[in-house]
Amino acid sequence: MSLAKPYESPVPDRRWKTRKFVADYGVYIALVILLLVGAVLTPKLYSVDTIAVVMRQASQLGIVAIGQTMVLLVAGLDLSVGGIFIMTSVVVAEVGNGRNEMVIPAIATAMALGGLVGLGNGLLVTKRRVPPFVATLGMLVLVKGATQAYTRGVPGGFVPDVLGIVNRSWSFLSVPLILWFGLSAIFIFILRGTSYGRKVYAVGSNIEAARLSGIPVDAIRISVYILGSLFAVVSGVVLTGYVLYVDRFIGSGLDLDSIAAAVVGGTAFVGGRGGLLGTIAGVLIIQILSTMVVLLGLDVEVQFIIKGLVILGAVTLYSVANVES
Amino acid sequence: MSEFILEMRNISKSFAGVQALKDVSIRCRPGLVYGLVGENGAGKSTLMKILAGAYSADAGEITYKGERRDQASTAEIIASGISIIYQELALVGQMSVAENIFLGREPRHALGILNLPELHARSAVLLKRLGIELDLDLPVSELTIAQQQLVEIAKALSQHADLIVMDEPSAILAGSELDQLFEIIQNLVEQGVTIIYISHRLEEVFRIADEVTVLKDGELVATRPIGELDRATLVEYMVGRPLDEVFPQTEHEQGELVLAAKDLATDTILDGVSLELYAGEILGIAGMVGSGRTELARALFGADPLTGGSIELVDKGASAWGSPAQAIGAGLVLAPEDRKAHGLFTTLSVRINVSIPILSTLTRLGVLKRRAEDQVVREAQERLSIVMSSPDQETQFLSGGNQQKVVLAKWLSTDPAVIILDEPTRGVDVGAKFEIYRLMRQLNDRGIAIVMISSELPEIIGMSDRIMVMNDGRVAGELTRDEAGEARIIELATLGAAEAGQS
Repeated sequence: MSLAKPYESPVPDRRWKTRKFVADYGVYIALVILLLVGAVLTPKLYSVDTIAVVMRQASQLGIVAIGQTMVLLVAGLDLSVGGIFIMTSVVVAEVGNGRNEMVIPAIATAMALGGLVGLGNGLLVTKRRVPPFVATLGMLVLVKGATQAYTRGVPGGFVPDVLGIVNRSWSFLSVPLILWFGLSAIFIFILRGTSYGRKVYAVGSNIEAARLSGIPVDAIRISVYILGSLFAVVSGVVLTGYVLYVDRFIGSGLDLDSIAAAVVGGTAFVGGRGGLLGTIAGVLIIQILSTMVVLLGLDVEVQFIIKGLVILGAVTLYSVANVES
Repeated sequence: MSEFILEMRNISKSFAGVQALKDVSIRCRPGLVYGLVGENGAGKSTLMKILAGAYSADAGEITYKGERRDQASTAEIIASGISIIYQELALVGQMSVAENIFLGREPRHALGILNLPELHARSAVLLKRLGIELDLDLPVSELTIAQQQLVEIAKALSQHADLIVMDEPSAILAGSELDQLFEIIQNLVEQGVTIIYISHRLEEVFRIADEVTVLKDGELVATRPIGELDRATLVEYMVGRPLDEVFPQTEHEQGELVLAAKDLATDTILDGVSLELYAGEILGIAGMVGSGRTELARALFGADPLTGGSIELVDKGASAWGSPAQAIGAGLVLAPEDRKAHGLFTTLSVRINVSIPILSTLTRLGVLKRRAEDQVVREAQERLSIVMSSPDQETQFLSGGNQQKVVLAKWLSTDPAVIILDEPTRGVDVGAKFEIYRLMRQLNDRGIAIVMISSELPEIIGMSDRIMVMNDGRVAGELTRDEAGEARIIELATLGAAEAGQS
């Protein structure tokens, strides 16, 4: 016995196709438009030096944004990355203390501590059901406080010179850029082509359905928070290598920018939708906008206003495309 | 003034080239109940949204209370006496019953201070008019869904509604709650209120409506007084072809024992429930909402912890699973009652939804084998006739029936021995409903045992080989198909085993 043909009229395709188009390509269209506007308003944007600067800054933001995107995909949020940048800087300087042979142990220590922060975030969110905003905000304050208490406000130690390797570049190509694109490629594959990636999306899309589908939802969420922190450590190492000294304010602004980049790139705040391809474009948009403001000789405050408008515009666009019947 | 309170004439509406409504006309006399039926996507909601002012019609005109109505805001429409009660109730959980009824229109003193005594007095009058009793100070979140719906109706009355549209009100109600709703509707109608009642459930339309309008594919099929219709005709109008048999039957011998559960107890409500399930049969579980049906399903599936009792999947030798993951592994799956909340990943594609429980068989070292997955999805689509434009279409854009098929496809991909279906046809249109019934029989033929929980008694009686009736977390009785009648089931479900036995 076979089932009869369905009686329903065919589903109108247009709506989901429009949505999918906006979701998949909208941010890239926006990026192209921005580049065209840049060609007219700020032709300097296309000088080799400017591109190199934009790409280096984009890489610093882009690496932490990979983790942030994954956290957002499971309907989470990680505000603690700002604390991890500072902690990484301090740990690299203290443990490394100017000795090049200690750079690997120093990074390993930062990774381990970062992993613990991520584990803490994950446990608070899953086992204690603390809302991600509150849990990671608390963790941010805790990590910053602990770092300050440890350094007594005056960070000591020296960043090993060898970390300057992250400044190495070959015209447009630089170590941070390779790291950013490499890690992005790996995690794009993981999210799209592995069972882990599918589970990440499933947990973010509908946590109860995921649980009832046999997915270990808590383990997935904890692992994503740990990844988020580890990416923040990598970003922190790149930032530290760039300035080559301990900086109490290192990476300030990158925390919220990483969220903005993911959201502009189409990753939904409520989880289960979006991805890293969009985030890459989101990162570029935010970085190019900031650079254009500087090239135009406008005040830095204007940067924030424009950034704010872009985020609001993107979110509005996605929400319009997302209206359910 | 004309004899009609509402006339919608030749209404057409299209969305981005898709004709949602074509030349549809309805008219309503005061004080009658109008049934509006049709499958999902037939245009019922679009028509009502045009009435509510949420959409504007491309063509056609609306005359309300004798006056031609042009484009109006939602607020103006509510003020003119039209209220729409949607399935998703629009109440503020933390606020009290009285506050919800007058939300945004609270009686105030001169300085804008809330006049609480007045608020209470007016709310009490409204509830009295409805003939119901509710604690006015209770936060709405403490009420049952059925009671919340009554608050919505009271709210409509507080806005002096002369025309109330109820969009699938029964989707969230069961048994006695429905009777209460019908009493209230009767009550309102006697007071001259006009009701437009949208429903999938034909039994209700026959019980409550004076006249029925059927829409199909955006067009008006028929408007008839209820007395001129019978069930078969109505189904034929809705589906567009005659249906010889509503519930497909197969003859089969009782199979082997598949599942044995003894004395199940949970800290929710279950209190010593035992059941046996045989290969190739459908065990129907009836009972009121809150009788423990859904809790039983969740307990069997390992979704809620057991505080007592044992479960055994006989031929697999599996017993005592503590999580859905283990239950799935053992061959027992659950398609939950609330499809969107618990069953479906609406932001994800059909492909991801279907393959999620069998990822381990579709991957090597965690990497997906795309071709194998395509194969699984294609087979599922063919087997269940899922209407979709691509496997990458997000499931939120599918109709209710197709969403349910995706949930079923997901579980069938695991090749289970036992499937628990909690309200498998809720919110599903008639056509898809029959497809699901046929599919259940197909699964039986393959030896799969089905536990079906349902609030629709015709469905329970028509499909089940055996029927277990629950009451207050216990088994009130078990009936064979021949013994079961609606009256007997309701008696057991409402009175419980002991009292029903005495009566």
